[in-house]
Amino acid sequence: MRTRNHMKRIAAAALAAVVAASALSGCRFGFASDPDDPNEVKETEPIDTSVDTFAYDDSLAGTEITLLNSKAEIQTALEEMGRAFEEKSGVHVEVMPVTDGDSPYTKVVSLYNSGDAPTMAILDTTDVIALAREKALDLSQEPWTKEGKDYLTYVDGKVYSFPLCIEGRGIIYRKEVLDEVLGREFDPQSITTLSEFKALLEELRAAGMEKPISLAKEDWSLGAHHLQYIYETYDGTSEGAAEVIEELKAGQLDLTKYDRMSQFLDAFDVLMEYNVAKADPLGADYDEMAIDLVDGKTAFWFNGNWAWPNLEEAGADKNDEYGFLPYFMNDDPEDFVNRQIQASPSKQVMVDGQMATEKEQAAAKEFLNWIVYSEIGQQMLVKTCAVVPPFSNNPYEPSDPLSRAIYERVQSGDAFNASAIVPNDHWSILGAAMQKYLVGRSDRAELIASIQDYWLQQ
Amino acid sequence: MKAKSNGKDFCMFALPGLFCFLAVVIVPFLYGIYLTMTDWNGVSEVKNFVGLTNFAGVFKDTAFWTSLGLTFKYVVAVVILVNVIAFLLAWLLTRGFKGQSFFRAGFFTPNLIGGIVLGYIWQFVFSRVFVNIGEATGWSLFEASWLSDPAKAFAALVLVTVWQLSGYMILIYVAGFMGLSEDVLEAASIDGASGWVKMKNIILPLMMSSITICLFLTLSRAFMVYDVNLSLTAGAPYGTTEMAAMHVYEKAFTSRQYGVGQAEAIILFIIVACISGAQVYLTKKREVEA
Amino acid sequence: MNKTTVGGSRRRIMNSLAMAILVVVFIAYMFPFLMVIINSLKQKRDIIKSPFSWLFTIKGLSFDNFVKAFVQMDFLNAFKNSLIVTVSATVLVTFLASMLAYYIVRRNNWISRVTFALMVASMIIPFQAIMIPLVSIYGSGLNILNHRITLIFMHTGFSMAMSVFMFHGFIKGNIPMALEEAAYIDGATHAQTFFQVVFPLLKPIISTMVILNALAFWNDYLLPSLVLTDKKLLTLPLSTYSFYGTYSADYGTIMAGLLLCVIPILILYMVLQKQIINGVVSGAVK
Repeated sequence: MRTRNHMKRIAAAALAAVVAASALSGCRFGFASDPDDPNEVKETEPIDTSVDTFAYDDSLAGTEITLLNSKAEIQTALEEMGRAFEEKSGVHVEVMPVTDGDSPYTKVVSLYNSGDAPTMAILDTTDVIALAREKALDLSQEPWTKEGKDYLTYVDGKVYSFPLCIEGRGIIYRKEVLDEVLGREFDPQSITTLSEFKALLEELRAAGMEKPISLAKEDWSLGAHHLQYIYETYDGTSEGAAEVIEELKAGQLDLTKYDRMSQFLDAFDVLMEYNVAKADPLGADYDEMAIDLVDGKTAFWFNGNWAWPNLEEAGADKNDEYGFLPYFMNDDPEDFVNRQIQASPSKQVMVDGQMATEKEQAAAKEFLNWIVYSEIGQQMLVKTCAVVPPFSNNPYEPSDPLSRAIYERVQSGDAFNASAIVPNDHWSILGAAMQKYLVGRSDRAELIASIQDYWLQQ
Repeated sequence: MKAKSNGKDFCMFALPGLFCFLAVVIVPFLYGIYLTMTDWNGVSEVKNFVGLTNFAGVFKDTAFWTSLGLTFKYVVAVVILVNVIAFLLAWLLTRGFKGQSFFRAGFFTPNLIGGIVLGYIWQFVFSRVFVNIGEATGWSLFEASWLSDPAKAFAALVLVTVWQLSGYMILIYVAGFMGLSEDVLEAASIDGASGWVKMKNIILPLMMSSITICLFLTLSRAFMVYDVNLSLTAGAPYGTTEMAAMHVYEKAFTSRQYGVGQAEAIILFIIVACISGAQVYLTKKREVEA
Repeated sequence: MNKTTVGGSRRRIMNSLAMAILVVVFIAYMFPFLMVIINSLKQKRDIIKSPFSWLFTIKGLSFDNFVKAFVQMDFLNAFKNSLIVTVSATVLVTFLASMLAYYIVRRNNWISRVTFALMVASMIIPFQAIMIPLVSIYGSGLNILNHRITLIFMHTGFSMAMSVFMFHGFIKGNIPMALEEAAYIDGATHAQTFFQVVFPLLKPIISTMVILNALAFWNDYLLPSLVLTDKKLLTLPLSTYSFYGTYSADYGTIMAGLLLCVIPILILYMVLQKQIINGVVSGAVK
């Protein structure tokens, strides 16, 4: 009995402490106060709502629509956008998150089965293609298809989805760190081939930075972001990627004789050699990579512009100079892979054409048009959601260095827009094969064989 | 209740509970079996009857059989470790220590946390805390993350499961020990039976009923492990720790072969049913009335 | 059980040895919780770089994570939802399962035998095999998802088998027929006999099942995530979704949120603890 009372007291004390903490919100105790507290609330960029020339359809006021969001990092931003839209249009947009442990596709499947399908769903391109014919509303006639014409996804010649953002990936560098370690001004333009990149890494090594690269071990990074270069760099277009994939499925392409395969592995081998976690590549931690780059322990991180929130959380400032180097694959400075970085629409909004009422569909279409054409929507897409807009009429520029780098490269033509449409389990199955290669438990031949096998089974 | 049976009793005592059970568990299960015989993909409007095609698909899915093999290994390790540890701890905890109820409560606490969160905590412990300790102490055991080596990642899965399940089983074994008749034990002591002999000839047979239930619970839970598998290793490194239940889920949703995934779930059920049925039959036979 | 206090020095050594083992194992059991508590007070950067440190290297130790978790989870509302669902389902399953188990024990007819066998078998059905059919039937079929009452009903149904199994064993082993017969002689109906004579005797097993079921309902993630999508109805585990990003998670807040979720159930556990331990679960075995 004594122990019980004892534990009760401990619990009561703990509870009281928590209650007190929530009451004294913001009160902190510690040993030294930290001026650069990363937990501080991020200031949001102001949205100018004074000008609004968008023509709202008053008959839609009072309609309630839902938006399933699979891009967790913009959940609160989307909620804010929904509120701003409701204020102007009277349409209520409920933003539903895809919760942890669910894949977006599983969530959509269970929602359709439960008869509670979302009016709009933010999905990956493969998911859109899987669902389009049966569930999605044909959006081919929407006005925004003109503004975003370079970034549309066609299924049977029709547009079923709205490109929400452009995402690009490559080798992120931190200029300040490179300047300091090299002892000279680093010029990203000076690196144009894999050999030059390797020479740079050697120079860093000689200057004391033994392993300058962070390389994520996650299967989605290895299986999708790295490996898909072999399809996407075929000729730098989505059509070219689709062609390679068709040939692989038909067994007509021998990967051992395909240049981009060996070039990709040459590039990957360089990343592996200078990987900061070389001793235990699968023990690498994603959050730690962000911290290492910000702290200057590393100078490069293979990732995309979606990594900004992680860097910011690790202490990066919007005025720091971050940028992207291409995924160098060979020594031909004229080859586009050594000059351009990959950037393509990744998340797409699909509108439900099966269960939603006409009014709900109209409200969803209005919401999408509002994002593209209204002054408020344009601003919020770029400033609140902090994404790179795929629409040519959007005058706003992203403010974080990574998105700005992608944005500038897209504007100046230094990016190639190719996305490979692969089956949904591509990243998990071939990601595992890549992990095996990463830790040296398989060689090139085995890796290539497993890729070839994968496609033959499709 | 009097022996005379009538429908009113059935409706009052049995029906409400039975209804909930049938409506939530059995009906969806039967519907699920029906779905394995169609080509439904989870979202399509039409369901065409395809007979046993999906079951044929299961036999072609070598990864399923690999994951099942791994699951067997895992089940054996978990069942043995959980029961031995829980049995011994329960035995220690019924010897009349001061504060033993505090210990019993402590051992149960892992069960207070849900499976997914639990996996994340341990992932954090294996990949960050242990590595940190390794760096500080230089112990080679903790040098690299356990989760990046197939054998150690498997060991990590077993360890976490044992950590969680043994607390639950301690509860049942403790109760079993407390139900043992003092007279029998004392009689044994007077007869000069000591230590191991006493354990083997008297305690174990009397504990058989607790052992039956604990074995059944650990067997079935270990076979169906999903939460911890997903959140601790998610199959990593390179797909070497993917267990059967996780594979079923991946097949149905990531690979989008709903019918095959569903069929694999049914096959998993049949296998577990046979094994735990055999286990209950065998251990029940050895139970003695206390 | 006070036998252990008598005996010679060998026994004392054995006892201290046993005690030492217990303490070591106990600390090992508690280690992850210690990590959770320590790291719930730290910032993400410190958690990642030095998870083990507490007093030495970190810059600030604060309750910020708790405040953030509290706000982002909409804690009070989620707590209310969890409480309603857990309490209702626990009460419901306690009554329905004990009555069904009582029927099965006292009426040894074919219905009882089939029901019992079915229930034991159902305990090994993988949830993945039921998931989609379940939402299909209750969603597009009956269209009753997104109500608390549906979740309560499903929780009750899913925990029925295990609960009946445990009650069945206890009633069979620990409740003598003689008491009931006496009640019938006094002219009591079956219902009166059950509720006035039998039910009070079930107290140990009831408290065990209350904690086990309440725990399962309180912590469950998968089932509520399938049933509830309306944000106003989310339970505590569901409400922590915003702490997990696509690429990384907010560890400090997750741990603080976890503690906030666990504390209520910990209190219930401590209140019922003695009952559970004395609940003689072994009764359920016979």
